[in-house]
Order: sequence, then structure tokens, then C-alpha cells
Amino acid sequence: MTDGVGRVILAAAVLLVLPFGVGAQSWRTVTMSRQLSGEDDLRVSVSYGAGHFSVQPADRGVLYRMQLRYDEEVFEPRAEYEGNRLELGVENVGRSIRIRKNRSRGEMDLRLSREVPMDLDLEFGAVRAELDLGGLSMTGLSLSTGASESTVDISEPNPVRMRTASFEVGAADFTVRHLGNLNARRIEVDAGVGDITLWFNGAWEQEAGVAIDMGLGALELRFPEGLGVRLNKDSFLTSLDSEGMVKHGDAYYSLDWETADRRITIDLNAAFGSVRVVWVR
Amino acid sequence: MAVLLMLLNRNALTGLILAALLLPALAGAQERVVVSKEVAVGSSSEASLRLEFSSGAPLEIAFDDGTVTIDGDAVGSFDRGGAAYAAWRNLLSEAIALENGPLSEMLVAWSPPEGLEGSARDVLETIDEALERSLRPAVEVDAPSVSVSVGSGGESRLLQALLGQVGRLSVLEEALADAGGAVQLHIQEDVEVQEGETVHGTLVVIQADARIRGTVDGDVVVVDGSLQLLPGSRVLGEVRLADADVVRNEGAVDGTVVDMTQGERDLEAEIRARLRDELRSELRDEIRQTEHRSSGGGFNPFRRIFGAVGGIVENLVKILILGLIGMGIIAFAPDNLDIVAETARRAPGRAAAVGVAGAFLLVPVWILGAVALAVSIVGIPVMIAWLPLFPLAAIVAGLLGYLAVARNVGEWLADSGYRYTEWIRKSNSVYTVFGGLIGLMSFFIVGHALSVVPLVGFVKGLLAFAGTLASLAALAVGFGAVLLTRGGRRREYFPESFDEAWERAVDVEIDVDDVDIEMDEEQPDESPDGDRDQGGENDD
Repeated sequence: MTDGVGRVILAAAVLLVLPFGVGAQSWRTVTMSRQLSGEDDLRVSVSYGAGHFSVQPADRGVLYRMQLRYDEEVFEPRAEYEGNRLELGVENVGRSIRIRKNRSRGEMDLRLSREVPMDLDLEFGAVRAELDLGGLSMTGLSLSTGASESTVDISEPNPVRMRTASFEVGAADFTVRHLGNLNARRIEVDAGVGDITLWFNGAWEQEAGVAIDMGLGALELRFPEGLGVRLNKDSFLTSLDSEGMVKHGDAYYSLDWETADRRITIDLNAAFGSVRVVWVR
Repeated sequence: MAVLLMLLNRNALTGLILAALLLPALAGAQERVVVSKEVAVGSSSEASLRLEFSSGAPLEIAFDDGTVTIDGDAVGSFDRGGAAYAAWRNLLSEAIALENGPLSEMLVAWSPPEGLEGSARDVLETIDEALERSLRPAVEVDAPSVSVSVGSGGESRLLQALLGQVGRLSVLEEALADAGGAVQLHIQEDVEVQEGETVHGTLVVIQADARIRGTVDGDVVVVDGSLQLLPGSRVLGEVRLADADVVRNEGAVDGTVVDMTQGERDLEAEIRARLRDELRSELRDEIRQTEHRSSGGGFNPFRRIFGAVGGIVENLVKILILGLIGMGIIAFAPDNLDIVAETARRAPGRAAAVGVAGAFLLVPVWILGAVALAVSIVGIPVMIAWLPLFPLAAIVAGLLGYLAVARNVGEWLADSGYRYTEWIRKSNSVYTVFGGLIGLMSFFIVGHALSVVPLVGFVKGLLAFAGTLASLAALAVGFGAVLLTRGGRRREYFPESFDEAWERAVDVEIDVDDVDIEMDEEQPDESPDGDRDQGGENDD
């Protein structure tokens, strides 16, 4: 939760400096791509500051394809590929970030190969993000975002097993769909302030543990019927609407916990917020 | 793939080894696929294309700021609204959507639009040639034929020489990257191209010399040898050298002369220069230290005296600044100082515990407060004030507490009867605050004074440690007392009884029972409703 709070402060600082941006913007569009060349595995780091950010699977034979639209007086593109490391995104070239209402914003559209197993690290700030990670071969996933409006969808199952998927969210409206398709043994969600919606649908290949650390805000947990859920709650001044669950001891259980084919255990640590459980057919 | 190996003077085994060693390099030259593409279009008149290949140098064509460049070399100019720029933008818009094979085919098939003339056509034709030159190997199916010729000598010597060149295969591969058509490879065999003779394709000479009187219509590559371009000779392509010399004796080279190992030599020179600089720097430092030691740098009394005086003056300035702040508090908030000081005096343990706990909680409270304020629109302006004012309030509280404790120390020193403390007047808070500050800082002052004397560094360290402990304790107790009394606004231990205050002030014991007060037996008892004036008259 400390990181989440840090992101809230960062976002507040960004909001404070926004009105001081002056001067004309100089937009540049760049399309970069690279072909597959026998990579066995890859560590991919993507960073993006402000604008619209999207990620999708790439066509066959393409390692990555990145289309950027950015203010060249403030940012410069970054595409470094060396060994098994691939670093993509934009980086600040020293001047203040300028974001204005009713002005066109930067964009980053990234396509990543499905064919190379990758440890994916996504970091983005004040953006509107739409990420479809469906079908990507992810051996690890780390996503951190600041003040954003983000939707992450794992629309197709991850073909390789993942040890941990972590989501660090600052002040954001954040939705993740098809968490079951991550094929992860452990999922960690660390959220600061905002509305968080987690869809636990998808193809659960293994039993998984989910740790949710929630600060101020509203958390909605959407479970598909048939998934066994155990919810351990450790909270402070937090309301819980545990529809469709029964409490035994200190934990809440789904009604079909004993008979469910796949089970997940959620450790929820929350303060100053509300938690709502919704069952989806 | 049609590869022709012509082995002269050697048997089949040698040919197989040669083929195994050299084919990868040659194959790399043939399969020149596009591995990376970058298309950039700016809001100004910038439009560029950069292609990287699986081998060989990348290709970069850029329209920028009125100039057209290919691999950084200017090849023409353009107008933002002109036909050349429009045709180039159209080509880039097609290139964005394509990758690798289809991209290469499209770029090779591209040609300048019909109807263009003048400089616009010249520029686009130059670009067309550059694209074809770079991409043609990627779309051509037929590989260049390779002719391999080796010089005389024993079988073992040949193999030894060949294996000795394995380390140069990367250079050879680079040199052959753009080789189109035939390749003639000569190993340990001098080559002479006679006058009127023309060598078609690329001529490669390894560990041998080449003398050219005629014409080579491709590139000439020389590894570990020499090249003589005699009068009337001409090389239509590039001359590429690796550990080799070229003598241009009135010969002509249409392309450029490239030293393939120049980068390595530059790197070696850079490493040598860096090592030399580091060694020079280390030697210089060592000489300086030696001179310092020989000139008595180990014990310099003047330096010690200046250091000690500087340290003492620094502490006196601190006392002065803190004392002036204390005078301000005495002038404007004397009650707050009194209450905090009294609380610190009466309950130092409790105040210290609260002070330490409060110090640990400062940062979390600051952050949580900001977060709590940030969640609402109304709270955001308050948060803007909260962020700087909270730390400022904490500093003010620490100062108030420290000065209150200093005042207590000053009062204690005034009562102690120690020498040099007679000037501290207990009845005047200004004196007690300054006296206490000097008392708290005395560890540091004495430590600096002692540093003049050699070999007492340990004592100085002990004094500094004691002074630090005293300052931290004073801060903790004072800060805790400030928190307990809400900044000196809530009386934790006031009012003390009149007797106690009187005893503390005059330091004598008075037994009020011993005072004989004669009372008029007829004097009525004083009741809450009684008339005080009347009682007063009776006393009189």
C-alpha cells in the first residue's frame, strides 16, 4: 500500500505542475518494428508517461511493433534491444510534461509477439490504457500505473505457466478481466486510491493465491459461478458486501467451495473503503 | 543455392573444410532480411525510414529540414509541398503496414512516379537506387558464385593458415555483405589483374598481395596483405581493407576505401588512452600524498588550531541563533515556554517517550493526512497547504521543546554553583536559555578545544558522542512536552501549589503553621456569600 500512496502523491504533484506548461507542441509519429530472430526468452520493459496506451498481440513473425505519437520537445522514443532484454516506450528529455484539456494527446500502440516467452514489465503514468494481453506467452507480469484509467484484458489463456503476476495501482480506475487466463500461481494487487474491478473469469489452469492490498477506494470482486473462492479479510474501516459467500471462522467461502474444480484463495487487506462481491453467470 | 567451388592445387578434403568455414559468411551475405524497421514522421517536414538487416550496415533515408540524406550523406533537397516529398510520404505510408519480405519487395519494386522531372526526380532515383542496392540481396533467389583459389604450400600449412583466419570471419562476412554477383577468393596466393583484363564481381585476397593494372567491376577486399593500384587500373566498387595497406599509384577507385579494422584500432587507442589517464591520475595522487607526508602533513599544528577555532565558532554561532529564537519565544509566547519547560522538568521520562513516538509518527501522519485530503475536491486545496505547513509545524515544535529544555538546563546550572555559571540569573529566562544552550553545546565546544592537542582524538569522539546524546535527549523530551501540552497551551502540571512555587523561588522552607495570626473570635466565618470588604475592615 505504501507504493500506492507514493503514486497518489506523484499523481498529485503531476496535477500541480500541469497548469504551468506553456509553449507549442511538436508532434512526431514513429513506427518501429522488429522481426523474430530465434529468441528463446525475453525480458520486456515498457514505460509510458502520459496519453493513450494500448497493447495487443502482434502478427506472426513480428517480435514487436510500436507506433508512437509524442511531443518531440518533451519526449523521445526508446527501443533498445540487446541480449534478451527489450526496452520500449518514451522517456522524458528534460522539460516539463504538458497535458491540456481539449488538446490532442500522445499515443502508444504496442504489439508484442505471442511466440516468445517473455517476462513483461509495464509501467505507465497518467494514461488511458487498454491492454489486451491475451495469448501472450508470459513467464512473469509486473504492471504498475499511476493516475490512469486502465483496462487490462487477458482475452486468451497464457500458454506458459507464470509464477507471479503483480499489479501496482496508484490513483486509478482499474479493471482487469479474465484473471484466470494469466495461468499464474500467485496474483498480487497493490492499490492506492481508486475504483478497482477484478474479474476472476477465464481458464484457471492451477489453484492460485491472490493477495489484494487496498487503500482508499472501492473494490469489486467479480467471480464466475463454479469457481471456489476463499476470502480472508483483514481490514480497517472497510465495508464488505459478501454476496453468495458464507463465513466459517475468519474466512468467507463460496457456497460450492468443497465441490469446485478450481479454487482460489484471496487474502484481502483493506482500509478506508468498500469491498463488494458479485457473482457472474 | 548454387555455389561453385573451384579448388586449384588441393584435394577434396581441403575444399570441404574451406566450404564449411566460409559458407556461413557467404550465406549471411545472401540472406539479407529486414529485421528492424523505423518510420518517423514529424509535424515539421520530417519523414524518415530506417531499416536494419540481419547482417551489414543499416539503411537510413531521411527527408528533414529541406535536405534529403541517405545514411547521413546529403543527396539532394526538397520542398515540403513538393512532389518528391509527397511521393516519399506515400511510400512511407505503405511501408508502415508491411514487414520483412513484403516490405522488401515493395521497396525494391518502388520507382519514382511518372511525370517527375528535375531535381525531384534525381533525388527519388537516388533513393530508388539506394533501396535496390540495400534490399536486392534479400529478394534475389540466386546466390553469387564463389571462386576459391589457394596458393602453393603443404596441406598442413594451408589448413594452419586457414584456421588462423577463423577469427577474421566476421570481418570477412562484413566485407562480403554487399557482394553481388561472383566472388573470387584467393588465400595465400598473390593476385595480379593484367592490363585490359576485367574481374567481374568481388575480389577477395587473404594473406596475400594484389596488383591491379586492369579493372575490377565490383569490390576489392584485402585481409592481411597489400593492394597496389597501378596506373590505368580501376575499381568500380569499394576497397575494403583489414590489416592491409593500399598503394594508390595513379589507380582509380569509384567507391570509397574502407578500413574494416579502423573501429578496433580506435577502440584500442581509446582503451590505451583511458589506462594512461588512470595511471597518470593515480601516480599524481601518490606523488601528492608523498609530498604531503614529507612536508609534515601528518602533524600540522596550525591546521589543528584553525580547525578547533572554526569548530568552536560554529557552535557559538549555533548558540547565538538558537538563543535569539529563544528570546523571540520569551517575548511573544512566554506562557507556552513556561508550560512546556515545566512539563519537561516534571515528567522527563513520559515526555521523552511521547517525543520519540511522535517523531516516528511524523512522516506517516503527514502522508496519510495528504492522502485523506486528496480524495475530495474540497480537501485538495487544504492538502496543498498541508504538505509544506505540517513539516514546518514539526520543526517549530522541536525548536520550542529544545529551547524549553535548554532553559531547564540553564536553571539547573544556575543552582549548581559550578564555576563560571554565576552570570546565569535564574529570574531571567534569557539568561537561563543561553546558559542552557551553552551547557548542551559544551561537549562539542570542549571537544573542538581539545582537538588542538595531538593524540586525543578518542576523547574528542567520546565528547561528540555525549553531546549528540544530550542533544537528542533534549529534543525528544522537549518535543514530547510540546505534544503533551499541545504546544504549551494545556497545563499538564500547572498550577503548582503556592508553597511549592515560593519554596522553589526563594529556596527556603516556610512553615505556614508557625505563623501566628491573631483572629478576632467574634469575626464571622467567611462564607461564599460573605462580604470581603467587611472582612478586610476586620483585619485592619
